Amino acid sequence: MKHLLMWNPVAQPRETVLYSVEYQGEYESLYMSHIWIPSSQCSPTNGLECDVTDDVTATVPYNFRVRAMLGSQTSAWSTLEHPFNRNSTVLVAPRMEVTEHGLHLVVKLEDLGPQFEFLVVYWRKEPGATEHVKVVKSGNTPVHLETMEPGAMYCVKAQAWVKAIGRHSTFSQIQCVDMQGESLPL
Amino acid sequence: LRRCLISVDRSLIEKSFPEIKRALQTNDTFPNVTILSTLENLKSIQPVDVCCVTSRLLTFYRDRVFKDHQETSPEVMRQISSIANSFLYMQKTLEQCQVHNQCHCSQEATNATRTIHDNYDQLEASSAALKSLGELDIFLAWIDENHQETSTA
Repeated sequence: MKHLLMWNPVAQPRETVLYSVEYQGEYESLYMSHIWIPSSQCSPTNGLECDVTDDVTATVPYNFRVRAMLGSQTSAWSTLEHPFNRNSTVLVAPRMEVTEHGLHLVVKLEDLGPQFEFLVVYWRKEPGATEHVKVVKSGNTPVHLETMEPGAMYCVKAQAWVKAIGRHSTFSQIQCVDMQGESLPL
Repeated sequence: LRRCLISVDRSLIEKSFPEIKRALQTNDTFPNVTILSTLENLKSIQPVDVCCVTSRLLTFYRDRVFKDHQETSPEVMRQISSIANSFLYMQKTLEQCQVHNQCHCSQEATNATRTIHDNYDQLEASSAALKSLGELDIFLAWIDENHQETSTA
């Protein structure tokens, strides 16, 4: 998962304006509201966005604020209008590579980091085919799905799942492969 | 009666806590005193009491430990915040169980958490909070161990 906080620039011709980002989790806002924590990546930064993925580590609402700094001058804080909860994250379908090694149907999924698992669905392309499901705990490692029968075509699709936020992505595009040919995106 | 189960984000055990322990360990002035007593004290908790003890210890950390500890290092602040907010999320999960009355508190459970509060009260608040933060691994491991579908304490 990746979470970016973005803001508009403060116009200051021929000057380098820096920005500082701070956050509060729900714990701080409920029980220690005077506490704001400097973001791990952007305290300060000269960019207009901040990767707050390592700051948003719990599935609770987070407040964010940013201010501009020019020399000794600092602006007022600008605070996010609505707190952000990572359970609203939209996950994109994972990239995958389906190949056949001899008689074996093999899938390799994109490595999206330690929080991701994958649901892989595969079937033999024939009328009334039965779908098989396999949970793959991490990406980047080829996984054997099935021993294929010569001449048959097999199809695969996958979706990403993040347990920490209880959300899954849409399914990837279906990829089919037969014993002789290359994988055929459908 | 379905048990109330929560899960511990592995990064808390493997990343957040070690960084807190490394930063705070040198400041612990009472190395021979323990707040969470020994793991044996918690090991005697019956499955039926796991939800209650978990909820009460989450409250203990929420209302006493995290509040009594004053931290200046931004990095340690982030790690403590990560755990505090994860505990808040766990508590919300447990509260849903309590609505269905599946978080019973026996006398043993009450005694166990009372002992922890008594240990805490033996020390000055900031020292007790520091020690309790240093013992988070005991509590996180206990949650991890006792909140499995198949776990039997």
